[in-house]
Amino acid sequence: MKSDKVYLLLYGFPSFFFITLFVLTAVIGTVLLSFSKGFENYARLISDPRFTDSLWFTVKFALVSVPFEITLGLILALIVNEKFRYRGLVRGLILIPWAIPAVVSARMWQLVFNYTYGVLNSLSDGLLGVRINWFGEEHTALLALAIADTWRTAPFVALIILAGLQTLPEEVFKQALVDGAGLFKRFFFVTLPLLKPFILIAVLFRGIDALRVFDLVFVLTGGGPGGSTTPLSLYAYKFYLVGDFGYASALSSVLFVLCLFLSFAVGFLLKGSIRG
Amino acid sequence: MKVLLFLVLFTLIFSCKKKEEQLTIAVGGTPEEIRYWSQIIEEFEKKEGIEVKILRQPADTDLRRHGLAVSLSAKEKDPDVFLMDIAWVGFFIKSGWLEKLRDIDSSPFIEKVLFVDKKGEDLYALPLFVDCGLLYYRKDLLEKYNCSVPSTWEQLLECSLKVQRQERKRDPKFYAFVWQGAQYEGLMCVFLEFSTSAGGSLDDLDSAANLKALSFMRDLIRVYAISPPNTYTEMKEEEVRRFFQAGKALFERNWSYAWILHNMENSPVKGKVGIAPLPAFKGGKRASCLGGWHVGISAFSDKKEEALKLLKFLVSYETQKKLALNLGWNPSRRDVYEDKELLKKFPQIKKIKEACEYAIPRPSVSYYIQMSEVIRPYINAVLAGRLNPLEALTKAQRELNLLERTYR
Repeated sequence: MKSDKVYLLLYGFPSFFFITLFVLTAVIGTVLLSFSKGFENYARLISDPRFTDSLWFTVKFALVSVPFEITLGLILALIVNEKFRYRGLVRGLILIPWAIPAVVSARMWQLVFNYTYGVLNSLSDGLLGVRINWFGEEHTALLALAIADTWRTAPFVALIILAGLQTLPEEVFKQALVDGAGLFKRFFFVTLPLLKPFILIAVLFRGIDALRVFDLVFVLTGGGPGGSTTPLSLYAYKFYLVGDFGYASALSSVLFVLCLFLSFAVGFLLKGSIRG
Repeated sequence: MKVLLFLVLFTLIFSCKKKEEQLTIAVGGTPEEIRYWSQIIEEFEKKEGIEVKILRQPADTDLRRHGLAVSLSAKEKDPDVFLMDIAWVGFFIKSGWLEKLRDIDSSPFIEKVLFVDKKGEDLYALPLFVDCGLLYYRKDLLEKYNCSVPSTWEQLLECSLKVQRQERKRDPKFYAFVWQGAQYEGLMCVFLEFSTSAGGSLDDLDSAANLKALSFMRDLIRVYAISPPNTYTEMKEEEVRRFFQAGKALFERNWSYAWILHNMENSPVKGKVGIAPLPAFKGGKRASCLGGWHVGISAFSDKKEEALKLLKFLVSYETQKKLALNLGWNPSRRDVYEDKELLKKFPQIKKIKEACEYAIPRPSVSYYIQMSEVIRPYINAVLAGRLNPLEALTKAQRELNLLERTYR
């Protein structure tokens, strides 16, 4: 038992050291910086209507994009878990969107959603004679952002869930077959509950990333129309650039707390699902 | 703690970078502009025997500022020399990012532009080119539909409605008037022009004049529909320029750089374009946003002597003339406007100079960038139909009052 603890310390040390160096210093520094003028920066947060809008948009973006990503990721994982010809190739191919840097994929999606020369608008104009100004309204802009984000990150979700699928005991499925459960029942009553921990992990990773979204929004909407699609990260960034580090840090700290809250919530659910 | 944090962060980030021994200049713009810049820099290298590296920046003004702000707030040695939009010079001076320029005779430069480069008597930058908002129009279409070059916004609207109705029969995607309405600095310029020409100003945002100006801007898109619906989402300088150049518009609000591009060999509107000062509202006075680029030396440069040589070379008579002839950049030196060769090859410069007589600067407060970040989303929200003009201007004014207290 004692040697276990020694190994734990020994193996844990490098990651603990680097996390302290790279993450903790930055986080603590940011929080301290936000309090450099006492509570003034936080008082300003409360009276800043654009902060409230931005916080709300950040949450909305996560709430819209993550379910899309999980659903599509799950479907992809189920497909590539089946045995078929060229499965290895397909498994590799679905990872491509995830390998493309977010800024590059955002530029690509710009060409899809653009009003004048966008692929989507050329299509809808040709077929139905309508053009949609995707970034012209908050809800369509949000949808466009969620679509672009889903395309890029669903493969990542698929990867996590695929790993989960491969650990599932085959006997349970055989038993279910013997019991006469159909495809639909097998999926909802066997596969899905068994996958719950993996889905929760995917939700955690994707949720945190969605809350911190920056590059995609920066390229696609620039925060518009009328500032309605400005996530906290982009809002904070504007203050960093003009040297208002205190306020920018306060905004970043709020984002940090938001992510922390999500981690705890998912952690709690995860604990429950593993015990169960 | 603050110092420690930055020390750790920046040494970590920048220690991976190779040490740069060359003189570096940051320039951005259209591909054509950057291509010509490398030619200019080559001439300097030959003349002075100093090697120069060009740091390429994007065309978007805000992105160029962001790029520079990151290096400068990290006190990076590079870039040594960089171009700045007239709107940021004040902020850069206040941040202590610019090296004071000594032994430079600033008398040949246009006084109206030079004021942003000074803090008291000290000179921190020099104008490289002067720019102002212009109205481009299609000569052939105005003639075909019997319109005159508009001197008021009301005339522009009337003619636009007439021409658009007819031209739509030929091209259903035709829009009479294109301008910069996306949520970025260009929108501030356009708003400043409409506002001033209605008798308003940015100091008193929720005035009746601004209300009139903003309502008119919104109606161009939402009521008269003579400006495309993506005006407030995607229209920046280059999008506007391409739209007009494709022959899909009658009027265009843009800077002087568009002239040469419109008249390039492969341009569908070649030879059909005219330039005029921007119109005013009936009874108001014309206004054109003063723009242009200034050149300065980084306070953190490790090659200040060479940098000064480069700066002097860039603002010299010869270089200014070349930039005017090849890029259509209006000289910032008064003497170049008298150049016979330039006037002969580029007679349009007279018209541009005339339009620039109406130039007005953006507010010269040191926190202008923050001010602009506050106003832009509100103006853009009106164009998007999310807020009504009165609501937007009142809210923006309230926020500006807070801002003034924070940054003054």
